[in-house]
Amino acid sequence: MSTQAIESLSEDTVRRIADERDEPEWLLETRLNALSALETAELPDVIQTPGRRWTDLEALDFESLVDPLNQSDATERTAGDDEVVILPFTEAFEEYGDIIEANFGSVLDPEHNYLTALSVALFTTGTFVYVPEGVDVEDVTVRAEMNSRSLFSQTLVVAEESSSVTILESIESGDDGVDGDRYFSNLVEIAAGENANVQFGSLQNLDDESYTYSLKRAVTDAYATVDWIESNFGSKLTRSDVETELNGDGSESQIVGTFFGTDDQHFDINARVWHQAEHTTADLVTRGVLDDVARSVYEGVQDVGNDAWNTSSYQRENTLMLSDDAEADASPKLIIHNHDTEASHSATVGQVDAEDLFYLQSRTIDSLTARNMLVEGFFVPVLEEIAVDEFRDDVEELVFERLQ
Amino acid sequence: MSSQQDELKETDTEARFEFKKEEKSAFQTEKGLTEETVRVISEDKDEPEWMLERRLRALEQFQEMPMPTDWPGQPDLSEVDVDEIIPYIRPDVDVRAGVDDWTELPDEIKDTFDKLGIPEAEKNALSGVGAQYESEVVYQNMQERWEEKGVIFCNMDEAVQEHEEIVREHFMTKCVPPSDNKFAALHGAIWSGGSFVYVPENTTVDMPVQAYFRMNSEGMGQFEHTLIIAEESSEVHYIEGCSAPKYSAFNLHSGGVEVFVGEDAHVQYSTVQNWSKNTYNLNTKRAIAEKGGRMEWISGSMGSKATMLYPSTILKGRGASDNHITIAFAGEGQDIDTGAKVYHNAPDTKSTIESKSISKDGGRTNYRGLVHIADGAENSSTAVECDALMFDNESTSDTMPYMEINESKVDVAHEATVGKIGDEDIFYLQSRGLDDDDAKQMIVSGFIEPITEELPIEYAVELNRLVELEMEGSLG
Repeated sequence: MSTQAIESLSEDTVRRIADERDEPEWLLETRLNALSALETAELPDVIQTPGRRWTDLEALDFESLVDPLNQSDATERTAGDDEVVILPFTEAFEEYGDIIEANFGSVLDPEHNYLTALSVALFTTGTFVYVPEGVDVEDVTVRAEMNSRSLFSQTLVVAEESSSVTILESIESGDDGVDGDRYFSNLVEIAAGENANVQFGSLQNLDDESYTYSLKRAVTDAYATVDWIESNFGSKLTRSDVETELNGDGSESQIVGTFFGTDDQHFDINARVWHQAEHTTADLVTRGVLDDVARSVYEGVQDVGNDAWNTSSYQRENTLMLSDDAEADASPKLIIHNHDTEASHSATVGQVDAEDLFYLQSRTIDSLTARNMLVEGFFVPVLEEIAVDEFRDDVEELVFERLQ
Repeated sequence: MSSQQDELKETDTEARFEFKKEEKSAFQTEKGLTEETVRVISEDKDEPEWMLERRLRALEQFQEMPMPTDWPGQPDLSEVDVDEIIPYIRPDVDVRAGVDDWTELPDEIKDTFDKLGIPEAEKNALSGVGAQYESEVVYQNMQERWEEKGVIFCNMDEAVQEHEEIVREHFMTKCVPPSDNKFAALHGAIWSGGSFVYVPENTTVDMPVQAYFRMNSEGMGQFEHTLIIAEESSEVHYIEGCSAPKYSAFNLHSGGVEVFVGEDAHVQYSTVQNWSKNTYNLNTKRAIAEKGGRMEWISGSMGSKATMLYPSTILKGRGASDNHITIAFAGEGQDIDTGAKVYHNAPDTKSTIESKSISKDGGRTNYRGLVHIADGAENSSTAVECDALMFDNESTSDTMPYMEINESKVDVAHEATVGKIGDEDIFYLQSRGLDDDDAKQMIVSGFIEPITEELPIEYAVELNRLVELEMEGSLG
């Protein structure tokens, strides 16, 4: 973009953030590089068709949204097992500095775009999760509240060979937040070692004065599995990208997405997978509901590289419209460079099935209840993919709330 | 027919389309594009003032617009330098607007179309035929019985003179304005030739009309304009065929097609494109369908170095419908970027898009399509289905659909699959005594059958032959 230089940003700002956290020199370097990358970096790509731009990120007023030195959050991190390391970055450097340095930015290039560079330069919160070789942990949770104008969060997950972990993160607005528009930026990178298994669930339910940018990316080694569950309920405008690079033979990834838009919410949801090794499998499943004048934009990309022999790649996206004034845009893309591929995608947009409604009403269920039952049912295929009960309950609860 | 022509018809070699004729013309413009060029073309055609004005305005728009370079994964157009092409060549034919008897044509032109089998097809299966050589239509004829019913089938330049009012109202005004894209603007400035089809109310033209476009000269551009107006409850099927021999310099084909489908009318537009593999094929084709009207686009893209073609339909009236069937075949060095656009702007509109693509030997195919359903277009439905077949891992097969849905009472479905030819299918056919090549060819023929069965038998055979030609010798 480079069109929007933020006045309050300077090398000094970045140094102060790093100093307060007593960070190692290499991280300060990384931050400063990210800061200078802002001069040339572009905003994330947005789909354009003749005469239309699907999401207008350029309209965001970063000048007033970004307040780097007053970031505040309340974050609770728990793990059911002490074999796994889960720490805020600030506390992790002393003991795990080498592991962090080796992995930070290796999956997600801080200078990928303007918003990632901004986030890396300014992050003040975030979590380091380290799952040593062979460790199997189920319930790692990170629950965060945002209490400031802007909040930049950075998460790094390192899962070593043959480890297994399920991580849930959630973000919502705190009670003592500031008034007016706010900006939440969330970067997550996962390095999944050989035969590792990572499930990462994320639930975003910020209030309707918030803007959210989230980019989550994983790289898999051989036979590793990374499954994402990306749930977006809150925010006025959400741009969410979930991506997996399948770099190891036989590795797999599933990206499950849900969203529910009401009022004038805007969701720009993206799921992408790159097949770059043999025998890899990907499954992208997204389901969303739109009510009122909400709008969704979806892009799914399945990119099969030249060397990706014997690839299986699937993608489904379904949007349910509850209101005449909602809008659903979708673009599921296939980019195939190897013929030894089985790939498919499908996308649908529609409303609640009239026959199903009629059936339920004939069973004396009133029309609103019937519709709500069908909407809840619509989410079942994605809810089933969530391995952790607590997380599934949260999502169900949020769907239920929106139907009232 | 001479024995040489018989031989060419039977041999199924590239020679059928690749043969060259000595370049012989009565008039041609200088290379490049200036206001002067546009004035010269218009003057040579003795056009009314308003047409010259439209051309000049389009030229201005062309010069203002940037080259399209920001489409994800689009074909490389960096070689396309409009200043290097000859925009206008009038072949050496005495009669303006074409003759209506093949024997009146100069031998080398007649010979060209004989080899392509056009006069033969006219006798057997068509209501009318137009043939364009370089920039001008050299032959135009329609069976008398249609003329009697008020059907008009003439070349576009003649229509500007003879049917001025209706052309002035419809020509690049509401369907494809020059401002639509850079190549539509270029087309608007230097268009020449093409067909004008007018079908009166309640008239069904039951055999197809055909136009064949041939570029013979090196480094030329062909910019024919086709305008079809089908009045209420009428029906017509228009077929377009294209080919050119291959030279070292690139050729540019940038046609414009505008179709007006009246209330309850039905228009089918079929194209089998076999441009030489140094031709850039950058067309703008669009139809507007009124209440209950039905538009069908059937496209086979076999030739060209790069094609960017997305026939579009605006479903303007209640209950209008659209059907797209497209097949793309990209071999070595080819980039076929094609698809469909449909705008549902009224209630009860329907569209179906069926796309088949085959890529091999490093070729690239891309389905790029847009379905837009406007707010208020209740009870609309659209179904898009894309299937791609790949032969090797040198080739690329992309699918990039875009859907914009502003209405809730709709039924929208998109599906796509990509795969290789199934080993089991080949094994089965081999077990029935077919060799590997024949088996693959048979599977490909089956794969594109949904397209071929929509075409008159002569064209289906033609398309199958082209596919066989493409497949020949390169399988393994």
